[in-house]
Amino acid sequence: MEPLVPPFVPVIVAALLLPFLGRKAGHALAAVLTGAVVPYVWLVDAGAHFTEFNLFGFETVIFNVDPFSTLMGLIFAFIGAVGVVYSYYSEAAPLQTAFALSYVASSLGAVFGGDWLTLIFFWELMAVTSTLLVWHYGGKAVRAGFRYAVLHGIGGTLFLGAVIWHFAETGTFLFASVPGGPETAGLAGSVAPVLAALGVGVNVGFVGLHAWLPDTYPRPHIAASVFLCVYTTKTGVYGMYRVFPQDGNVAVAYMGGIMAVFGATMALFQNDMRRLLSYHIQSQVGYMIAGVGIGSALAQAGAFAHVFNHILYKGLLFMTAGVVVYRTGEESLKKLGGLAREMPITAGAFTVAALSIAGFPGFNGFVSKGIVISASHYDFVKGPLAFGDFYTLELLLLLGGVGTFMSFIKFGYYAFFHGEYDGEVRDANRGQSVAMVLVAALCVFYGVFDGALFSLLPFDVTDGAVVSHVYHTYTVTHVVEGVVLAVLGLVGFRLVKKPLSGLGKVPDVDSLYNPGSLYGSRALVVGVTELYARVDDAAVALAELSVRTAKHPDAAIARVTGREEVRTKAGIDRSLLLVLAVLVAALALLLA
Amino acid sequence: MSSLPALLVAAPLLGSVLALLAGLVRSETGWPVALVTAAVQVAGAGVLASRAFDGTVSYVVGGFTAPFGIELVVDGLSATIALLVAVVSLAVLAYSRVAGPRTNAFYAVYLLLVAGLTGMSITGDVFNMYVFLEITGLAAYALVASGEGGRSARAALKYLIVGTVGASLFLLGIGYAFVATGTLNMADLSTQLAAVGYTEPLVQAAFALLVVGLFVKVAVFPLHAWQPDAYAGSPDSVSALISALVSTVAAYALIRIVFTVFTVDFLQANPVARSLLVAGAIVSIVFGSVLAVSQTEIKRMLAYSSVSQFGLVVGAVAVANETALIGATVHLVGHAVMKGGLFLTAGLIATATGAQTVDDYEGLIQRLPLGAGAFGLLALAMVGVPPAVGFVGKWYIALGAVEAAAWPLAVVILLSTLLTLAYFARILERMFFRDASGERVAVDGVSPGMTGVVVAAALAAVVLGMLAFEYGQLLEPTVQALLS
Repeated sequence: MEPLVPPFVPVIVAALLLPFLGRKAGHALAAVLTGAVVPYVWLVDAGAHFTEFNLFGFETVIFNVDPFSTLMGLIFAFIGAVGVVYSYYSEAAPLQTAFALSYVASSLGAVFGGDWLTLIFFWELMAVTSTLLVWHYGGKAVRAGFRYAVLHGIGGTLFLGAVIWHFAETGTFLFASVPGGPETAGLAGSVAPVLAALGVGVNVGFVGLHAWLPDTYPRPHIAASVFLCVYTTKTGVYGMYRVFPQDGNVAVAYMGGIMAVFGATMALFQNDMRRLLSYHIQSQVGYMIAGVGIGSALAQAGAFAHVFNHILYKGLLFMTAGVVVYRTGEESLKKLGGLAREMPITAGAFTVAALSIAGFPGFNGFVSKGIVISASHYDFVKGPLAFGDFYTLELLLLLGGVGTFMSFIKFGYYAFFHGEYDGEVRDANRGQSVAMVLVAALCVFYGVFDGALFSLLPFDVTDGAVVSHVYHTYTVTHVVEGVVLAVLGLVGFRLVKKPLSGLGKVPDVDSLYNPGSLYGSRALVVGVTELYARVDDAAVALAELSVRTAKHPDAAIARVTGREEVRTKAGIDRSLLLVLAVLVAALALLLA
Repeated sequence: MSSLPALLVAAPLLGSVLALLAGLVRSETGWPVALVTAAVQVAGAGVLASRAFDGTVSYVVGGFTAPFGIELVVDGLSATIALLVAVVSLAVLAYSRVAGPRTNAFYAVYLLLVAGLTGMSITGDVFNMYVFLEITGLAAYALVASGEGGRSARAALKYLIVGTVGASLFLLGIGYAFVATGTLNMADLSTQLAAVGYTEPLVQAAFALLVVGLFVKVAVFPLHAWQPDAYAGSPDSVSALISALVSTVAAYALIRIVFTVFTVDFLQANPVARSLLVAGAIVSIVFGSVLAVSQTEIKRMLAYSSVSQFGLVVGAVAVANETALIGATVHLVGHAVMKGGLFLTAGLIATATGAQTVDDYEGLIQRLPLGAGAFGLLALAMVGVPPAVGFVGKWYIALGAVEAAAWPLAVVILLSTLLTLAYFARILERMFFRDASGERVAVDGVSPGMTGVVVAAALAAVVLGMLAFEYGQLLEPTVQALLS
């Protein structure tokens, strides 16, 4: 099919029209327009389109289609449409959904950009639109949104610096695959990739840069969380791939492994449902980052398969958690329990999503996580901590899997199965149920029919000519591995259940750097003003003698205007002294 | 009409006298006179600009040929500034009809300022530039003093004393250059100075005096002290006019002096001279922003923001390559539109709701959606959110700094976006995401002209951003000539 418009256009149109069409018509139109992007990006021809559109006077490609973009576009548009339906039935305000769609549109713009400039342009736009989406909810979300904006501002600036560096080296913004692009893919030079890894690292939640994630995502409206959990981190994974398109990067791969373990461990300590899920975003994105870091065809295919699957089950998890919050008004697992009997559809959808994220055989997470783990074994260095046939990164990823099982057993146990819920709770309403069941069905579908998933991937993992090691989902060792992880998770949960329930709030890095940055910036401002005042005072004291002879300005003004008294705050004398000082300094320097 | 450049200076002077005379017949008749003059000025500047982009237009005053007589030289850069002066002064008139001041004397001085600014933009003679600089200065002091109460008078006095010292340094610098070369014509000076030698103490001293004098006028930190008082103390229409134009034209003069008179070769022969500009830029950007953050009064905050933004322009002058100079011009125009617009919006908001401090802006979107919207849009444009014009200027300047491998400056320029966000984000958050604390005050005294010009400024900030890249290409030959 010939390209008509870049795929973000229909979504941005929907976002602009939505607030004016009324809730029902607006949401219906938005769901249709966003949904229409799915077949559109599926059918459109590969290659660079609309090359004549020059962003800021540079040669750019606003719409570039390759297998990676197509996969991202398909799942982004699909979950966007589902999110709109869910928003409508969860009583989200039209303006909020409009913000959400502008966020979806900027993400679509980013993944379909054929050059760094388009990518960074939409990247920054995403930071703005997602902040608006958080802010719209008000209350506690405002402060969290502010921290979110600041951190993403820093990350975006680092990435922008990397892109400018790349431009200075190569003289073009275009990707290598685009006609007229440079010869080698990725960012040129030695500094740019490091800057970009850190900048993108903020988006994907590198350990240490991740605190915005559990801080922000639990706070806004339940429907906003469904959107937020999808786009920022996954566009980050896509960006990381663009930065390291060949051979990956060892440090990034290990960072992925550490994220997988760290996120899952921190999740285990959480009682707020959406906060727990947020840590799991970090953990799951760890698998994708590990895949991108390993860098082989098998690993990249696995990473993007995991992006695809993760968006399905994580969206579903946030929907089920949202429904629980919507119906009970409770955010904390400590105050819930026994909901399985009251909300069978939600509990069922949750079970599917939990088994998917944990990677239980028969569910989609099992397939894609398996590819990444397989790549970490066959395509990656052994590493310092290898036990027998298990390599370091592989062990980290498997350990993350056990942690995932444990925390989802915890979530399910406390929310749905433990004890009785006193009082009446209704199950999800019809629209929410439709959205959840649809996504849950896809989670199972892609788990059982893994071929359907493989056909979407940029590399064919079942072809020995393309990947180093042909991947089979359902082998005895794989299935045993999946079941063993589940059993370990179950045993682990039994062991830590007691100590966990006595545990209070576990601090994360943000408890260090939030006060740090607050007092740091305050100290800077106060320090600078104070320093200026000191320097100023000293200069004035020196000049006092000569100034005393000059006419006193206050009295003069008071006489002219006929008022009793006028005071000058920053005196004329100081200003003149400064002019003189600068002049003397300039002359001394130039003539020296 | 080959004498168009001279008429462009003469028209506002004539208008100024007319406004004063009309006041003898009937009071409060200055506004229509000013309006007609400003409209003529816009038309004249427009025609001149359309010619200047084809090729430099020059005009010899009084038949005395250069280098002995005074010459008016209009290239793409001068024409841009002259047109900017004309358009902004017309737009501010639309605001001031109801907002005041309304005396004839005020409009007479207003037009005198326009004459001075236009003269500075198009003259090709350094002493002539000093004369217009003084006319501009004196008119600006008087306009600042036109506000009611001691605050305006005090601010004007401070402005007068500091500004005069700056102008005197400028004059001293011209004197040194004249002693060294015996000429005052800019084009002639550039060849003569090269003949004298760029490392001669006399030439170096002339450069230092001229640049420091203009630093005062541009309000580069720490020579900015007059500026926050003057902007915050004067009536809203005056704050908008002088914040949009006076420092802008001074920065234009800096570009002229550095590139037309001293040339890039001088900067290459004297690395210290370039360091002086870089230091001024970095200090201004950082301290201007930090001081802006610490302000509670909106107009003072906007004033400190100007200190920081002009740091960017000075930085572009220091970088001295094609990209950076295009960026400087775009940013000069963009800043004039955005900052003038912000001051007018602040005035509109103060008139309608009485809000003058950062805290007063809480929940403004509920009380005055139009004002809050325009302020928000202009603030985001100033931060440099694409596609607004603030982004384009910064983008070119940053790119120029990277091309020239001026890394410290490039880092500070990128950082400046964050710093600008620091002081505007506070206000944006208060306006849009908090509930109003105070009582609802009845809307009062806001004319359609005031609203119209504020909306126009906000739209212009976005539209100009889209046109800016084409404009940059149009300006390329001028900048190449400037740098050769």
